[in-house]
Formats: sequence, C-alpha cells, structure tokens
Amino acid sequence: MIRDAKKEWLIALTLIAPFAAIYGLVFVYPTIDMFLLSFTDAPLIGAGDYVGLENYTRLTSDRRFDTAVWNTAWFVVLSVIPGTFVALGIALAVSRLSGRLQTAVLALFFLPYILPVSVIYLIWDWTLNFQFGIAMHIFDALGIDRIPVFKSATWFIPAVALITVWWTCGFNVLLFLAGLRAIPQEIYEAAALDNAGRWKTFSRVTWPLLWPITALNFTIQLILQMKIFDQVYLFSQGGRPNDNLVMVYYIFQRAFQNNHGGRAAAVAVVLFFIVIVVSVLNFQLMRFAERKQ
Amino acid sequence: MTDLLRTTLGAAAIAGLAATSLSAQETVVWWDFLGGGDGVRMKQLIEDFNAAHQSEIAVDATTLEWGVPFYTKVQTSVAVGEAPDIMTYHASRIPLAVDQNLLSEITPEDWATMGLGQGDYAEATWDAVSVDGKQYAVPLDTHPIVLYYNKDLLAAAGRLNDDGTPMGMDSREGFTQTLQALKDSGVTFPLGSVTADGTFMFRTIYSLVGQQDGELMTDGEFLAGDNAEKLTNALGVLAEWTEAGLQSTYTDYPATVALFTSGEAAMMINGVWEVPTMVDLEKDGKLFSWGAVELPVIFDHASTYADSHAFAIPNGNDMSPEKRAAVLEVMGWISQNSLFWATAGHIPAYGPVTQSDEYAKMEPNATYSSLTSNMIFDPKTPLAGVAGPIYDVMSTYFVPTLNGEMDPAEAVEEIKAELNDL
Repeated sequence: MIRDAKKEWLIALTLIAPFAAIYGLVFVYPTIDMFLLSFTDAPLIGAGDYVGLENYTRLTSDRRFDTAVWNTAWFVVLSVIPGTFVALGIALAVSRLSGRLQTAVLALFFLPYILPVSVIYLIWDWTLNFQFGIAMHIFDALGIDRIPVFKSATWFIPAVALITVWWTCGFNVLLFLAGLRAIPQEIYEAAALDNAGRWKTFSRVTWPLLWPITALNFTIQLILQMKIFDQVYLFSQGGRPNDNLVMVYYIFQRAFQNNHGGRAAAVAVVLFFIVIVVSVLNFQLMRFAERKQ
Repeated sequence: MTDLLRTTLGAAAIAGLAATSLSAQETVVWWDFLGGGDGVRMKQLIEDFNAAHQSEIAVDATTLEWGVPFYTKVQTSVAVGEAPDIMTYHASRIPLAVDQNLLSEITPEDWATMGLGQGDYAEATWDAVSVDGKQYAVPLDTHPIVLYYNKDLLAAAGRLNDDGTPMGMDSREGFTQTLQALKDSGVTFPLGSVTADGTFMFRTIYSLVGQQDGELMTDGEFLAGDNAEKLTNALGVLAEWTEAGLQSTYTDYPATVALFTSGEAAMMINGVWEVPTMVDLEKDGKLFSWGAVELPVIFDHASTYADSHAFAIPNGNDMSPEKRAAVLEVMGWISQNSLFWATAGHIPAYGPVTQSDEYAKMEPNATYSSLTSNMIFDPKTPLAGVAGPIYDVMSTYFVPTLNGEMDPAEAVEEIKAELNDL
C-alpha cells in the first residue's frame, strides 16, 4: 500500500487543531499574558506601565506574602501526608470486606467527596462555631475549654487541613483500592506458603507493588493542595484573613480587593514556579525511591 | 381544538399590543446587593415605582451577592460596556470607584432635574458621595450602628431610666457600671459583641476613635500622631470588657443576633438594618420589650460610624438622553418616597423625609435618628470601604485583641505598619 504522508499529516493536523486552538486560547495565551502583566503596574482591568522587576523585588519585604508562603507550606504538610496515609489505611481496611458490605462502607467514605465546598463550610461551622457549635457542647461536657478554632492563628490551618482530608480522602481511597485489586492474588498465596506474617506481607508485597499508586496519589494531592483557596477563604470570612492567607488567597486579595493586577500576577508567577519545581522534585524523588526498592 | 386556537390567537394579539405599548417605554436595568430584609422592602419600592410610571419607565431589577463579588462584577461589566443603567453603591467605596473610573458624575443639571440638592442632605452624607467637589452618587440612606437593648433585663438589673432608656450612656464608668450590674443580676453576656468578626467591629471601634476626634488617615498617612493612641484607647475599652467577662467572645454575626434575641445577651451593638428582625419577632410575640439608641459616649463626645447606600450611574454605557432622564427619575422618585425604606431600619438620607411627621412617629427610628448630626464616614481613600483592604488588616488584629489574645498597643503597632504597607 502506498502511504500518502502529506495527507496523513493533514488529517493529523485537522484532528488536533480544535484542541490546540482551545488550549492556546484558554491556557497558553493567558499564561504568557500573566508573565507580561507581572512586569507592569496594571490594575485589575486594563493595561499598566512597565515597571521592571519591582513587583518581584517588593515581595521580599512583603509580610503578607511571607505569611501566605508559610501557611501554604504548612497546609500542604498537614494535608498531603496524612491524607495519603489515612486513605491507604481506609483502603486496606475496606479491601478486607467483600460484597455489598464493601460497597456500602466505601460509599460512606466517599460521600463527603461529592459535597460542594460551601456545604462543607456550613457543616463544619455548625460543628465548630464557638458559641453554638455541636463540638463545643462536647468540650463543655468533657470539661475542656472551648477553642475558637477558626479565629485562632494556631488552630486555623490544622483545622482546615483536617477538614480537607475528611472531605477529599474518599477519592484517594478509590485510587488505592484500584491499586490493591491490581496486585495478583498469586503473590499473596506464595507469601502465605512461605509463612509470611501480616506485617511481612504488607511491607514486602503490598507496599512495594502499591508504590506507583502511592506516588501518583501523593503528586496529585501535592499539586492540588498548593493551590488551596476555597476552604481558607470561606473559613476566614470576617475572622483574621491576613493571618490565614495562603498563596491563591493572597493573589485574590491583591487583584480583587486592592486592584493591583500586576502585583497579583507576580505572586501568581511565583506560585506557578513553586508548583513546577515541587512537582518535578517530587516526581524525581518518587522515582528514586522506587528504584531503591 | 378551535377553542384552544382562539385562545392562543387572542393571547398572541394581546402580547402584540403589549409589545407596541412597551416600545415607547424606557427599561432601566438595575443592580443591587440588597439580599436581606431590606431587599424585600426595596423590591416593594421598585414595584410601586413601576406602578406609578406605567408605560413610561420600567425598572428591571437584579439582586447580586453583597461585597467583593458585587464590586468585581461592576468593574468587569463597565470594562466591557455591559454595566446596568443604575446600581446601588456604598458611599465608602466611591473613592476607589472614582479612581477606577467606574462612575458617571451626577452633574448640577442632573440634581436640578431630579429636584434634589445639597440642602436636602446632612453635610457628612453629601461629603461622602463627593470626590474633589463633584458628586458621584445620590445618597439613599445612612446606616449607622446603634445600641440595641433588652428592657426587661435592664429593669431587672435596676439600670433602666423612667423613659425606657438604659442608664450610664454618658460616660465610660457609667456604661461599664451598667454592664457590671447586668452581669451581677445573672445575665450571661451583658453585651453581645461580634468579637469573631473584626470587619464588623471596625464600625464600633471607629466610632470610639471618632469620639476622641481621632482620624484613621491624615494627609495620606495612617494613624499619624496621637491617632494611634486614640485607636489604642478604643481597643482598650473593649479589651477591658472582655477581660471582665462583660461581653461575648469569639462570636460571629448570626450568633450575636441569636444571643440577643434569645435573651442571653442584654445589649448588642449592631447595624440599624437589624430593626426589621426585632420588629417582626416582636409582632409574632417572640421577643421581649426592646429598644435602640445612639451608642454610649465612652470618650469625649457622641460619634457614630455610618455608611450610606447610594444610587450611582456606571460609566461607559452609551446612554441616550431619554434613558438618562429615566434613570434620574428613578433616583429622584425613590429618594422622595424613601419613608418606606425607613422600615428597613435605615435612616433615609433625603432630609424632607426624616423631617416629616410620619417619620417622627416611627419607633425606634425616631429615637436614634438624632445621631445623624454625629456621624462619621470612612476615610476617603481607595483603600477604604466595605470589603476593602483596610477592613482585612483591621480584622486580623481586632479579633485577637478583642478576645484577650493580644495587647491593644501591640495590635495598633501592627495595624499601623500593615496599613502604611498597603
């Protein structure tokens, strides 16, 4: 058969053109524009004058930027690592069940994940509200002092991280379950014949074979949680917003409240690079760990 | 079948007729952010307006989310030329809006057309909608904060005057004494304060700064001179009440209202917009005997923070003279008929309304409307205004201070540094 290379190229191009066009319009173009904007003193809407690196240099002495970076890092530590291990634990437990019971239990763990963030906010505000929260009555009964969870700089990020883990771990459980089911039963049978105990089976069979899934889970969450905004914004309303800032919240504040488009873009660029560097680093680390095993 | 056909044809004919008569009529697109009890009353006013201007002007109103979402939407809509013909605006946000070139000036001719003028408004209110001597909005109301109180609890504590007002309204010692007496009589929270929401407490604290003639911003600098000390004093009073267990801690807005209406808090400092809540509850027989008065004088003289709802015309719309005339008619008519708006608790900005006999009979509005002469508005800077950056800075330090986590002087240092950083 004679192949018409030119025609094939044409077909290929036609097929990817719609995607390329949309991708260019809604992703590549805005990204480039964001970089350009970060070198200007533009307001939220409209053009500004070129100011060089000023938007970046002033970040070094910007206290709110500092708060945002540290809070984001703290939130990632508190949500990604526990989130992964809690999900793994639940997946291991659920996989021991079978049939309808398994489905029912899995559904229970997955349920919070389908709720929108506004509902999550309301549920937890009802629970932890200082004056009327349900949890506060339990504190009273136990003789513990009430804690103004969302109004205290110490408790805010840990509480939001905990809520986020509760909210999103259903999805991670699914990923882990899929990973667990992909491990061939024969290996477990062989391990059982060799008299391997439960811990040996887990550490020598399940954990290494599940590693790609763990790594994937970890990476997805890492990227997701670095972009945290919704929960932090909702729970900060009226409280101590500038103590609770995270990166995306700071971008929002700069752009929409202070009307500083250029300075907001500079923060966005910094976040963009942090996400890239951290995910590449994470990916390399995971590969390294895999090879070692 | 023929019946159905006839009905359909008939309906179509009527619709056609309606359309022809509609074409002579100006439709005014209206945006507001009035979602609460006052929103219901505004819808009533709009309906009344439409009824009074049948086949001339029709207001097509949409209510949007209050705060940052509203003002962001206004900004983007002006940028693309899709803004409404008329919108509600907070006077405190006008300096920023003028800076962003969002508002169309209300010219002296416009004022003349509406039949309104400077003389119809309190000086502070007129000043609040002016930037560099030009007006950018028509004030509808002023909405200050007031002191709500539970007459039953005050009487039980022996701190109610014969005229039904609380005792000790003229000094710091006197008011603290009233709070202490309430505490001693077994009230859980003598004062219900929105201590979990610093943006809300800004109104109280700014009033207390005003009572010492303090200013937030002078010549572009925040808290210059002894203004920092005055803010420290204001925070000090509130922190002292917290320490003595006289006010609720870490309480958010809905919880504060709930504490007051359930009788757990004997008094509450809140906006006049909660008046309908009390009136409605009382009507259903679910509320104690209550009242509302101007804030107590804690420092040198009376002073109350207020903001104003105003009507503004967005820039950049290609507006025909007929359309603009219709918009002016809307603003003028509603201002002149704003007595009904007072049932939402707000104090109408249009003088002839508050001076009328009908208004004098409205309670508790008439009692607290005296504060109009002691009102202070936000400082005039693009950084001020509801849901603006100043609010966030203040809130971040007010919350720990009001709940006894931070020393007032330290908080003021931090606030000053952050504000001047903006």
